[in-house]
Amino acid sequence: MKIDWAALGIVAVVSISATVLFVILLSSSIRLLSVARLKANQGNPATATLSAGYALLGLAALLVLFCIYLIVSQFH
Amino acid sequence: MTVLFVVTVVIAVALIFDFTNGFHDSANAMAGPIATGALRPRTAVLLAAVLNLVGACLSTEVAKTISGGFFDESLVTVPIILAGLVGAILWNLVTWLLGLPSSSSHALFGGLIGAVIVGAGIASVNGWVVVSKVLLPAVVAPLVAGIAAALATKLAYRITRRTQSEDRETGFKYGQAFTGSLVALAHGTSDGQKTMGVITLVLVAANLQAPDTGPQRWVILAAGVAIGLGTYSGGWRIMRTLGKGVVDIQTPQGAASGAASTATILASAHLGFGLSTTQVATGGILGSGVGRRGAEVRWGIARKMAFAWLLTLPGAGLVGGAAALLADNGVGGVIALVVLLAAACSVIWAFSRRHRVGHHNVIDSPEVLVLASASETAYVDATSEEPVAKPKKKKKHKAKSAV
Repeated sequence: MKIDWAALGIVAVVSISATVLFVILLSSSIRLLSVARLKANQGNPATATLSAGYALLGLAALLVLFCIYLIVSQFH
Repeated sequence: MTVLFVVTVVIAVALIFDFTNGFHDSANAMAGPIATGALRPRTAVLLAAVLNLVGACLSTEVAKTISGGFFDESLVTVPIILAGLVGAILWNLVTWLLGLPSSSSHALFGGLIGAVIVGAGIASVNGWVVVSKVLLPAVVAPLVAGIAAALATKLAYRITRRTQSEDRETGFKYGQAFTGSLVALAHGTSDGQKTMGVITLVLVAANLQAPDTGPQRWVILAAGVAIGLGTYSGGWRIMRTLGKGVVDIQTPQGAASGAASTATILASAHLGFGLSTTQVATGGILGSGVGRRGAEVRWGIARKMAFAWLLTLPGAGLVGGAAALLADNGVGGVIALVVLLAAACSVIWAFSRRHRVGHHNVIDSPEVLVLASASETAYVDATSEEPVAKPKKKKKHKAKSAV
């Protein structure tokens, strides 16, 4: 009986990178949306920043959906 | 007739275990969001309960092999399963009383392993599988979640360094509520299935279901509802330890630790490790404390938890083994065991009433008290926003040992 180090390694790499990716997307989105809101308050709407912020948020949601898709066996 | 009676009893006990699993692990998902105010306590547990139910129904692949090859399933009899469940339930209740987030999965494995050893001999347990599929992941997974959470927390603070603090707060509040919900969903998929697996094992052992078939529809639904109800009831004592006791948590940390826990639970479950949601979530919360500069991490409480983790497998195993001795005496033994279980549960519940922790006071203090309130004043200073004028308990004369 051997210990499956490879599987443990995969768990570590996948978990850490998925977490970091999700948080980068979320934080960047929060930052961009905040900038856009401040600009809008000053009277010059920043449509590009705003849509970029929402796009990143959408990407974060996609990432989560993809992860759930991976674990639900009925989809495969 | 007697077979049917025993099977019914064991299924009921299995659902009780599922309930304790729910309220023991409610905190994993929702302690953070409740502690920061991202979700109100009752909303949080309702959300977690529904997501646990959904998660339990989502996938039933793991439920087919509950033991994952720890022991020879053909040796398992219905009384052995009952004894294992009793060990797991009692361990869950004792650790809940102490406010310790120990692993429900390890309690179940420990109880079953102990009962199998007593009922079928030590040779029937495959030690190597236990090491590689339970013990090793138990060390590695919380570490992985901790590292992931620490990195993510650092990044979250760095990226939003210049962001308006109220926008950051609002944004991460949603983020935290969202990742907390994901943890609840992941918990439902991984832990909900364990009880389904146990009930299926009982039905197969009693020749009421063909071997190698998946859980039946009513089993899936019953297990999902039991774990959902357990989650809704909150497990506020553990909620307090995880939300306030270990790390003084802020919303970006909560979002990061929730994401880390979810990723680790799902990745490990996908690769077939008998993972503990609790240990992963605790690792994530500790990591988020390490990742934020200036965050206070109470390593003393973390150490206490680590001891509880080490003791869970053997502790539940001992109770399970002792229960197996009793359960092996026919229907009388089964009835005696269930009566003893009910008595023990009542005693533990009565103890918990002495220092109640509920949704109304879950984040008032970082400490869960069982007998005494001696060190309560010491903590009032630590949480400066809580003035001393909070005599949570009237009786202060029993200044013995705070747990």
